[in-house]
Amino acid sequence: MRTALFGISAAAAVVAMIMMPAPANAQEKAAPKYVAPRTADGHPDMQGAWARRGVGLQESNAPNSPLGDFGSTGQPYPTVFNTGVSTTQDRSVLQGRPTGVIDPADRVLPWRPEADAARREFIPKMIPPASLAYIEKSARCVLPGPLEADDRHPYQIIQRPGYFVMMYEYNHVTRVIPTDGRSHVGPDIRLFMGDPVGHWEGETLVVDTTNFNDKTSLGRTVPYHSDALHTIERYTKIDPNIIDYQITIEDPKMFTRPIKIAGTFQAAAGETELMEFACAEGSQTLPNIFGFELAPGRVPANR
Amino acid sequence: MTSKRGWRSRAVFLLVLCAAIPAVGQAQANAPNIARGPDGKPDLNGIWQVLNSAAWDLQDHSAALGVPPGQSVVEGGTIPYLPAAAAKQRDNFEHRDTDDPAEVTCYLPGVPRATYMPFPFEIIQTPKLIVFSYEFAHARRNVFTDGSSHPSGFPDFWMGDSRGRWEGDTLVVDVTNLDDRTWLDHAGNFHSDALHVVERYTPIDAGHIMYEATLEDPKVFTRPWKITMPLYRRIEKNVKVLEYECVYYLQEKRYGNAKPIGVP
Repeated sequence: MRTALFGISAAAAVVAMIMMPAPANAQEKAAPKYVAPRTADGHPDMQGAWARRGVGLQESNAPNSPLGDFGSTGQPYPTVFNTGVSTTQDRSVLQGRPTGVIDPADRVLPWRPEADAARREFIPKMIPPASLAYIEKSARCVLPGPLEADDRHPYQIIQRPGYFVMMYEYNHVTRVIPTDGRSHVGPDIRLFMGDPVGHWEGETLVVDTTNFNDKTSLGRTVPYHSDALHTIERYTKIDPNIIDYQITIEDPKMFTRPIKIAGTFQAAAGETELMEFACAEGSQTLPNIFGFELAPGRVPANR
Repeated sequence: MTSKRGWRSRAVFLLVLCAAIPAVGQAQANAPNIARGPDGKPDLNGIWQVLNSAAWDLQDHSAALGVPPGQSVVEGGTIPYLPAAAAKQRDNFEHRDTDDPAEVTCYLPGVPRATYMPFPFEIIQTPKLIVFSYEFAHARRNVFTDGSSHPSGFPDFWMGDSRGRWEGDTLVVDVTNLDDRTWLDHAGNFHSDALHVVERYTPIDAGHIMYEATLEDPKVFTRPWKITMPLYRRIEKNVKVLEYECVYYLQEKRYGNAKPIGVP
């Protein structure tokens, strides 16, 4: 399903690029028209439940991935997976909004030649996986890194003075982003979600994230990144129901220059409540691949 | 893409229009020096952690390799098991090094065990929602303090369904819908799907919360019983909840050198 969705959004984006020569500029000009309500400490109030749309590292010169050959389910492994659905207002409000890779404009990612060659050698070994290292990271139920959350699940933002907290339903990720001026953790601490530090620039929350490990992926055709990864996110509420989102991806061991991706958080309708997404607890993906249970004991993984 | 148990993963619309919870008498603050929010409620925001060995055994126990010794946190000292349940606990204990669903299997630790795992957790408090974000397995609980009650028809969750209210300076959290596969500690103390937990978080000064949990489970215990322990505020400069991504390390250990089926 994910592959199909990405295909559609990539095609839509190409159309949008033809029709709209400078979507990023248009959006930047539009932003100041709306001033968001304030929290008690005077910053834009973005609290509530949201659906994330359009965020992904689609590239126009991607190699074929065997992970894409699994039809409408998008499930390359024998699993009991099911899909959740987040619920929002009409999606038509997203029309014309910047989506996916916006810089480089042609979506030809600025690969270092040796890194591009390495991943093109890596990808065919993912199905069937040659070993644990070749199994798609998002099939392992670990924290998803900066891009690879499943957007069929809602997000929720809560704020309190000095903190901006982004909660994902997907795999119960919680990003506690301090905005009180504290620094990053030391360089020897490496994290799946990195270490975020935020600050406000008027209407925009800017989040600088470092200290990533090299154990997550950026997309199906970017199946890993290095621990030099650094992201800068910008969250700007431009309408009561829209947060404009941009993320700049820097990984100098993989790419010669930064890549900028755009997307949207769209308000979820009603009083959406995040449910428990227990991933590793029910997953049979790895046991099915390897033929024996992940845990050595007698506790049933699934029932 | 990797979601399973989709019925657990849906966004659910809760129209909680008439949670008829009677107003609780606002006991006047009796603990000095505790932080308070604009609404006068205690401010529990911060990073907290226990300093005890309850994660290994809630009851009195001597040390073993990798197990710190400890005194019981159970009121009265011992857990009041029904006879058959006591036998199951002994069997669990014998198999604890392979069967412990949290420490060995990396499943979400459940409630109340998440509180006293030897890892910190962060409380993020807003008026209607208090989030508990635990370092172990990045477990999370949403404690709703909006007057809502437990929705009917929910399945069991590894971390249960939590609804909170204030009784004076005490946050009282009622927890139901708890999955019966979690244990209460590494010693095999356990419960059934009938477990009902009532937690009480009472700040006693700026740096400490007294934590109590009453466990009621008529399938396993002869009567409700209670654990009590202090939570200590982590006050190190720049302290943050980091990641203990248990399942990743277990996958590397179990499958890191294994061959997928069909791979020569």
